[in-house]
Amino acid sequence: MKLIERLQIIIALLVCAALMLVASGCSSGKSAGTAGVTKPLVINLAGGDAGFLTPFGHYPRGPGIFKMNLIFDSLLERGEKGYIPWLAEKWEISADGKTYIFNLRKGIKWHDGQPLTAADVKFSFEYYAKNPPVSDELAINGKRIIEAIDVVDDHTVKITVDKPNATILGRLGNARIIPRHIWATVDDPKKFNKPEALIGCGPYILKEYSKEQGAYKFEAFKDYWGPKPKVDIVQFIPVSDNVLAFNKGEIDLTAISPDLLAQYENNKEFMIKKNPAFWGYRLIFNMEKCPEFKDKNIRQAFAYAINAQELVEKVARGAAVPASAGYLPVDHIWYNNNVKKYAFNIDKARELLQGKTFSYTMLIGNSNDEIRMAELIKISLAQAGINLTVRSLDEKTRDAAAKKGDYELIINGHGGWGSDADLLRTVYANQKSSGQSPSGNGLYGYNNETINELCNRQLTELDPDKRKALVFQLQEVIAEEVPQIPLYNTTGYIVYRPAKYDGWRYMFDHHEVTHSKISYLESM
Amino acid sequence: MAEYLVTFLFIITLNFFLPRLMPGDPFTFLSAGTDEVTVAYSEEQIEKYKAYYGLDKPLINQYVSYIGNMLQGNIGYSIYYNEDVVALVGKRALWTVSLVVVSLTVSCVLGLILGSLAAWNRNNAFDRYLYLVMICFSEIPAFLMGLLLLFAGAAWLGWFPLAGGTSTFAVFATPVQQALDIVHHAVLPVITLVLARLGEFFMIARSSMLTVLSKDYMRTARGKGLSKSRILFVHALRNAAIPVITRMFLSLGTVFGGAVLVENVFNYPGVGQLMRESVMLRDYILMQGIFMFFAVSVLTMNFVADMLYKKLDPRIT
Repeated sequence: MKLIERLQIIIALLVCAALMLVASGCSSGKSAGTAGVTKPLVINLAGGDAGFLTPFGHYPRGPGIFKMNLIFDSLLERGEKGYIPWLAEKWEISADGKTYIFNLRKGIKWHDGQPLTAADVKFSFEYYAKNPPVSDELAINGKRIIEAIDVVDDHTVKITVDKPNATILGRLGNARIIPRHIWATVDDPKKFNKPEALIGCGPYILKEYSKEQGAYKFEAFKDYWGPKPKVDIVQFIPVSDNVLAFNKGEIDLTAISPDLLAQYENNKEFMIKKNPAFWGYRLIFNMEKCPEFKDKNIRQAFAYAINAQELVEKVARGAAVPASAGYLPVDHIWYNNNVKKYAFNIDKARELLQGKTFSYTMLIGNSNDEIRMAELIKISLAQAGINLTVRSLDEKTRDAAAKKGDYELIINGHGGWGSDADLLRTVYANQKSSGQSPSGNGLYGYNNETINELCNRQLTELDPDKRKALVFQLQEVIAEEVPQIPLYNTTGYIVYRPAKYDGWRYMFDHHEVTHSKISYLESM
Repeated sequence: MAEYLVTFLFIITLNFFLPRLMPGDPFTFLSAGTDEVTVAYSEEQIEKYKAYYGLDKPLINQYVSYIGNMLQGNIGYSIYYNEDVVALVGKRALWTVSLVVVSLTVSCVLGLILGSLAAWNRNNAFDRYLYLVMICFSEIPAFLMGLLLLFAGAAWLGWFPLAGGTSTFAVFATPVQQALDIVHHAVLPVITLVLARLGEFFMIARSSMLTVLSKDYMRTARGKGLSKSRILFVHALRNAAIPVITRMFLSLGTVFGGAVLVENVFNYPGVGQLMRESVMLRDYILMQGIFMFFAVSVLTMNFVADMLYKKLDPRIT
């Protein structure tokens, strides 16, 4: 067959051509990787677009916030145990809790070589009052907390706030300081995306950014005032499957599911770390729609009839811990271990329900974990006499329902459980129309005077020890009341090669090492 | 022409209203994916943003200003991505369009050749096995095929990169090297899309060729003593190709759909990921932009198909 032969030749040629293309592609890729003799330490991490990294341009999610923080420093920094001095080397709080004096370090430079002074700090706070950044903590219940900022001298600022509040130091300390000489003339910061917008005073300079590839390249800032960067270059690159990329050495750290742990355990090449449990799911009652939830016995019956340990084993496959009924998770710096615990107990649940049966619709998101979790909860609650209909929705639809109170029961998953204990107030204290937060919006129809009072007292208590005692007491009341049911907190695993880099550290309130600025720097 | 305009208007109207009727808004973040954290906006901040993007006005006013802005060529500014929608989509569209055009062309040409050969060898072993293989390929979902190829070609054999459209931060000595790098990254996504569409083109080409081969003028050609390849690829193919080529343009919408999924598998920098994100984030302005881009592309191609069909087949006027 002449024709077939000819075709065979054509196909063979085509295959050859394709292989040549592939081969040349391979070699060009490799030569790019091995350039340079004295090798700087380059760390590669899984990328993804997180936005233009100014305080106004990044996307409102973790990866954007923390990448931006590498470029822009703040007065304080989040260390492993709490806030640590950063741009401010020390500070004083007046006895009435209304004046904060920060002493800035000397010799701090912006990436363009200009000195950072108290005027920049004053400018930043005033600019944020007019143009709130994406991550804005300088308002409480919608009200700006700062009343006045005075430049005492080049290295001292005095900030006056409207009322004493235990969370203010962290809020002021967390705000990014931006250079006045660049931003003073910017009217619409959301649209300001010139290269100079990325001039900060942080340890890293953004050298390259590709939005569509989701790639970032950070280089250590030579004139950085603070602890020396240990990593010379941090790169975020596109990755299709994190574990494949890690195994091939394309990235240097990855999160792994518990099923894959065995691959890396007992192997000197790898180091596995368990993240602190600062991300979690909770089950929320709508007491406005279903007034019977105002009865503590019914809520406690739910708590007894949900087997959190089973959820941890079957849904999170061990990479989680049952949540505390007092809300603050085990890894929280102020976790109270003496709160009431609700071990799985169907008989007790039945007893509390006094033979009554109930039927509810429970809204959940559409992730696999939530669907599995809901099915398990449905089975165990049915044993106690509570029948559930489960409805799965996409994230935004569920959020809208949660916000409007358009549900009977809803499961919500979010991060931030490690934040300042004041989050108890935003969740549990009755505060109609006070705005929302991932943990917030209060609880529909719930009002408890003891909880409200404790929440407000801890907020204005400036002595950390006294405040801690109040927060411990508050957790005990909450655990007894169970106004909502915290289900479990995830403790994902990460794996990395310590021979390449071993500096990964957790911030005291956050579960991701790659998000910590201190992960890339020498210890102070 | 008028029908295209009406269709277009209908589509952009749907694009405008459907997203806004979905529950949720671009600024409320109450939940987050596992181990993700989000920023919490206060009610006051949400009001401020809504005013900034004009989302506080009644829907009908928003619609009128949307149409007005569009006539002036202003598609808008993405809420989440913080960038002009035209620039945002434009940069990624090039990647997606190249993927789609290349894979469509390859699958069409390959389908034509294989289909013709199958028709020529009708009912012998070659035809039967090819038929079986093609049916199998066309039934495997593109993203699954993509995953298989990713594991085999990138992870196991290591011939191709795992992700992305080009080597990150690489410096290329020559444009040729850069082009090769891009081709190298595109191989797996293109193969995935080709395999997903090949079966369809193969079937059409085969049946079309069978019809043509039974025509009288084929007997004439054979009678003239022309070689088999000349008969097949010169005389028969020209007529058999018409339905395949029109099909190629008409299937553009489906291929775009397939590309969206495949891009997500390979983390390819096209419009696909952007589209998924825009819907999940309720970024109305971006959604409008992306769906308009798809609508315009598909409508244009349908129009081209109409024109081409008229040209290729003189019987249609």
